[in-house]
Amino acid sequence: MLNETALQEIQELKIRYPERESALLPALYIAQREFGWLSNEALLHVANVLNLPEAKVRGTASFYSMFKDKPAGRNIVQLCTNISCMIAGSDGLVNFLQTRYGMKPDETTPDGRFSLILMECIGACGTAPAMLVNTDFHENLTEQNIGEILETYK
Amino acid sequence: MISLIINGKEIDLDTPMSVLDAARQAGIKIPTLCHHEVLKPYGGCRLCVVEVERMPKLQNACQLMAADGMVITTESEEISEVRRSILEFLLINHPLDCPYCDKAGECELQDLVNMYGPTVGRYKEEKRKVPGSHKDVILARNMERCVVCTRCVRMCRDIQGASAISMVGRGNRTKMAPFSAESFNCEYCGNCLTVCPVGAILSRLYMHSFRPWQIDEEVDTICSYCGVGCSLSVQMRDDSIKRVVPKIGAGLNRGLLCARGRFGYEYMASSDRLTVPLVKNNGKHEESTWSEAIHIVAERLAEIKSRDGGSAIGGIASARCSNEDNYIFQKFIRMACGSNNIDSLSRIGFAAAQKYFEDLLGQGITANIIDGLKNSEVIFVLGGDPTAINPVLGLSIREAAMNGSKIFTLGYARGLDRFTALQIDVPVFKEADLLEELVVSVFTAKGVRGEKLDVDNGIRIISEKLSGYYDVNGFNEMKNSLLGSSSVSIVFGPDLVQRTDGHRSIFAVAGLTYLLEARLYLLSERPNEQGLIDMGCVPDMLPGGRPVDIHDFRSKFDLLWNGTVPAEDGLTLLEMMESMKRNEIKALYIMGDNPVFNLPDRPLVTEALEALDFLVVQDLYLSETAEMADVVFPATGWTETSGTYTNLERRIQLQKKAVHVTAGMDDWKIISDLSCKMGYHMSYSDAEDIMNEIAEVSPLYRDLSYREISRGNCLWPYHGEPLRGKINELPSIAESEDTYEADFYLAPDKPLFHSGTLSRMSPSLNRISPEPALKMSDEAADKLGLGEGDRVTFSTSLGSGEARVSIDYAIRDNKVLFSNNFRDNGVYGLLNYKMDRITKAPGIEGCEVSIKKMQEH
Repeated sequence: MLNETALQEIQELKIRYPERESALLPALYIAQREFGWLSNEALLHVANVLNLPEAKVRGTASFYSMFKDKPAGRNIVQLCTNISCMIAGSDGLVNFLQTRYGMKPDETTPDGRFSLILMECIGACGTAPAMLVNTDFHENLTEQNIGEILETYK
Repeated sequence: MISLIINGKEIDLDTPMSVLDAARQAGIKIPTLCHHEVLKPYGGCRLCVVEVERMPKLQNACQLMAADGMVITTESEEISEVRRSILEFLLINHPLDCPYCDKAGECELQDLVNMYGPTVGRYKEEKRKVPGSHKDVILARNMERCVVCTRCVRMCRDIQGASAISMVGRGNRTKMAPFSAESFNCEYCGNCLTVCPVGAILSRLYMHSFRPWQIDEEVDTICSYCGVGCSLSVQMRDDSIKRVVPKIGAGLNRGLLCARGRFGYEYMASSDRLTVPLVKNNGKHEESTWSEAIHIVAERLAEIKSRDGGSAIGGIASARCSNEDNYIFQKFIRMACGSNNIDSLSRIGFAAAQKYFEDLLGQGITANIIDGLKNSEVIFVLGGDPTAINPVLGLSIREAAMNGSKIFTLGYARGLDRFTALQIDVPVFKEADLLEELVVSVFTAKGVRGEKLDVDNGIRIISEKLSGYYDVNGFNEMKNSLLGSSSVSIVFGPDLVQRTDGHRSIFAVAGLTYLLEARLYLLSERPNEQGLIDMGCVPDMLPGGRPVDIHDFRSKFDLLWNGTVPAEDGLTLLEMMESMKRNEIKALYIMGDNPVFNLPDRPLVTEALEALDFLVVQDLYLSETAEMADVVFPATGWTETSGTYTNLERRIQLQKKAVHVTAGMDDWKIISDLSCKMGYHMSYSDAEDIMNEIAEVSPLYRDLSYREISRGNCLWPYHGEPLRGKINELPSIAESEDTYEADFYLAPDKPLFHSGTLSRMSPSLNRISPEPALKMSDEAADKLGLGEGDRVTFSTSLGSGEARVSIDYAIRDNKVLFSNNFRDNGVYGLLNYKMDRITKAPGIEGCEVSIKKMQEH
């Protein structure tokens, strides 16, 4: 169940838009912030609070990669593997992350520290390869500096 | 006027429309995939691209509005190339499993590829893999075949208003899924099934049992379940029904169906059907022959008639039977038996309300077109959930709401939950108080209308005693909306009729209808409730609604029917039950109904039937009532017999015989044979022959013929003239001073997936809804310490039932709802009643119930 503060936030969102549907994305963000990911129960809860059809809420949540459909680690590593990053060696980084940290794409490490997501282009082709860790942006990655960067996320 | 040229053909349009519609109207085919005529243009597949002169690129014909002077080409080498490419892309993921896909033969993708190619695929990599889902009881999903046209999702969201499914995921991985991802757990209208162009959504009812081209006969008929009367087609192979499909664009339902209509057809082929007449000997039914059974019935009825007079015989007609059956039935009871004791189980709802509404406002006041609902600015729904009782009518209300109309509900209407502007909550069973205050407040604002002086007078009498204000949330908002709108519809359900003071609610609603010039819709649970009234299956009226107590009408029918119409007043249904108990009515003839199960107070009904000297039942199954009968005749049903039905908007429609009859005889045929045996001659070659007589004797069906009816749009009165209303009685206000302070009250539930005792013979409906549920609010469940799915027993002073708890957020008072569909476990038998003195309907309110949790084994 969402706590009172979160419910209050969603109620306020409802007033902000002429259509209830418009409050759906921000409400899903709040739910994800509270639960860490969007379980069926969380989606159902959002649907009930906004009085929207459950299936619509699920359809919307499943469209955006920012919404997680399974539990994620404490830190979310989103590494780009599109063409520029690939040429600049992102495939090697994927292997490195697996051997060094046991991170596999779309999976969470057993200690719950990292979840790895292979991202579509994040607009950093000039400084490829690049990744997002949570909301922090990191570029010009190599096997040396990627380790140092990840060490700062516990 | 818009003039354009398509493929060299000049086309003139009177109304604006898309290029696609303009072409189709002119007989020019443009291929489509995501387009469906029930749905809005979508422009997703791009297969309908056409060349338009002076436009730089190919245009989507479905979205492009036809404009004056356009010159359009729909087929060219370039267009074919584009279409071929689109199809090649779709075939990247669409499996080539046509040999075992049920859709093959009627698959739109298959047809398109056949027309445009490609003949060879160039794609060599892996196709998308999505495991098929067969966990749902009715619908199978194979999302590898999905071409993401989103027709199903748009149908579910925009037309059905259920939004039970959505497109999940993105890009190549997009698929349609219900919320749970497994079972659909939805309204099971199956309209997604209608629109799926490929084999991605399939019905499990007939999976792998035939190929579409093996359908050797298709009969256009109407649905047999509720008072809407949707058009549909029965498809058959070797004289057995393979499936029911809607007729797109035809009938009042425009190609939409509900769960009962689409998946409930299997009852006809039930192995429980009666096949031979049964005669009771020493308390046990024995198989008999038609001639012997008819002989026994004729002899016994004649004997009782000559000994005790015609009024010792009663008849119960059926709203499941056709106009022709009901006409013959009342003619038989009146002329052969000499009794006006004719009524039907419609008396506990529709017929009671209809009669009082017509007495107040005139014949035909409830004859309004369902489709018109969607144009109403304000719709006031009370006394039942239209989306469950008359699902396709409910869709029009949802459509209105989606277009911005305001919906107000009084009482339970779960299916309108997301569409309602305001749900008015009143203390339990006190709806009439609110309605009277509402009509007074409208009267105060608008004043006397002066068209029906008696009604004006009645409202004025009420208004002298009331303030015009009722202290519930939303009263003023609703009042102001009703007053501020020039287009109000009122949808009135059976719940408020089944009250000891039900006439108060009906009078108040009639007052609102009258003062606001509103359209009135009466929800009708069975297909021919209106028709049986028109046919004279009521104690006080001859066919055409002509009062029995007026000598001139009687003598007109004396001539037409070649006999004497009894002058003595007949009894209504509940009065007949009382009379049987007093041993005054000694013989009862029941055509196609089951009063033991469907009437309130089962002990009383059983006692009444046991007191009879002679009971005859004709039915499809050995119902609870048929088990008590001295003689049981097997009847024919839905697809085995032809006849006309008059729906709740008074549209007269034809039900057509589709299969050969293996058992049973038409209801009218049994009765006319019997009538001849009793010395009152009846001779009809078929149902059409009977309709010809009806058209002659009934001023409301004058000149009606089967040919006219087959063309559609036969609305009542057909060339006839209605009678003006005559008021019998006005209500005096606040008669009921009853207080309702018990913890819980038992009330009937009208579920979406069942209908009377017919649907329980349909395996598919039983799979969707396999056992009865006791619906209660979450507050009630908390108070009782119960959770969803708990097994409970519950009891009233008359008996007990068993069910699983279902928590229903739309219930906002301390009523618990139970259905009347499952054998020997129904709600009505447990409810005692007091009869409404004006409508003669049973008042079943205020029945206390205690609920106990059962231990699971």
